[in-house]
Amino acid sequence: MSERIDAAVASEPVAMSETTAATDAAPSPFTMVTGDPAAMVCEGDVCFIPGTGGAAD
Amino acid sequence: MPRTAGNTASAASVRLIVTSPIKIDIWSDIACPWCYIGKRHLEGGIAALGADAPDVEIEYHSFELAPDTPVDFEGSEVDFLAKHKGLPADRVQQMLQHVTGVAANAGLDYDFDALQHTKTLKAHELLHFAKSQGLQLELSERLFRAYFTEGRHVGRVDELVELAAEVGLDADAAREALESGRYAAAVQADIAQAGAYGINGVPFFVFEGKYGVSGAQPAEVFSQVLTQVAGERDGAAA
Repeated sequence: MSERIDAAVASEPVAMSETTAATDAAPSPFTMVTGDPAAMVCEGDVCFIPGTGGAAD
Repeated sequence: MPRTAGNTASAASVRLIVTSPIKIDIWSDIACPWCYIGKRHLEGGIAALGADAPDVEIEYHSFELAPDTPVDFEGSEVDFLAKHKGLPADRVQQMLQHVTGVAANAGLDYDFDALQHTKTLKAHELLHFAKSQGLQLELSERLFRAYFTEGRHVGRVDELVELAAEVGLDADAAREALESGRYAAAVQADIAQAGAYGINGVPFFVFEGKYGVSGAQPAEVFSQVLTQVAGERDGAAA
């Protein structure tokens, strides 16, 4: 989910009106706030930057 | 949604506007280093709004990152990730150094040498018990600190009961809640809800059931979301 959502965002945090984007990439009922694409998430035992394809932390 | 109530003494000119807090639902795991950092960033984002900060109601939801983790793992975090998961040890060291640095910037003193890797299922059950007692936020902070900075074992019932008592929960009631498994179904319900929402990773924040925020975003992103939600409420109330 996160990879597809974050693939289309800018590289820096921007104004709210520019950080929200509807997505059909997941069954999420939310409007995703893309924010900073370098924000880390954890899945399983590894944490990473969504969309980079590799573990970072 | 904002609620309005007329002032009967001068109903034509005075309206008392009573606004409910903005709801923030957070899917998180105690063993997630970026969840604690994200918590601090959210708090920073709220604080940055100063007097304009809206009231918020925060609720934590369970997300078990690694259900296959043993309660008692004999070894360090590096050992776990290197041996149990097959990641190169030097790469693991780099990863932990990086997250430790980011945590420090958020005011958190991570100690991965002391950290005791464990299964967090019981900790999640305790968080649900704490929610029933109105102390979930206090316990969430206490569990994160215990795990990442104090090297406490948050997988064992005895240690969890001690931590529960430290935030004001009744120790006997906390022990009963954990030993009976009374909140196990609630934990699984949270995890199932995350799956239904397509949440694969944490931290994951939901504002007013409307905006989703994935990852340990900078404080300013949280400020922007809160400002947006508050503005939409104001617009709806006008």
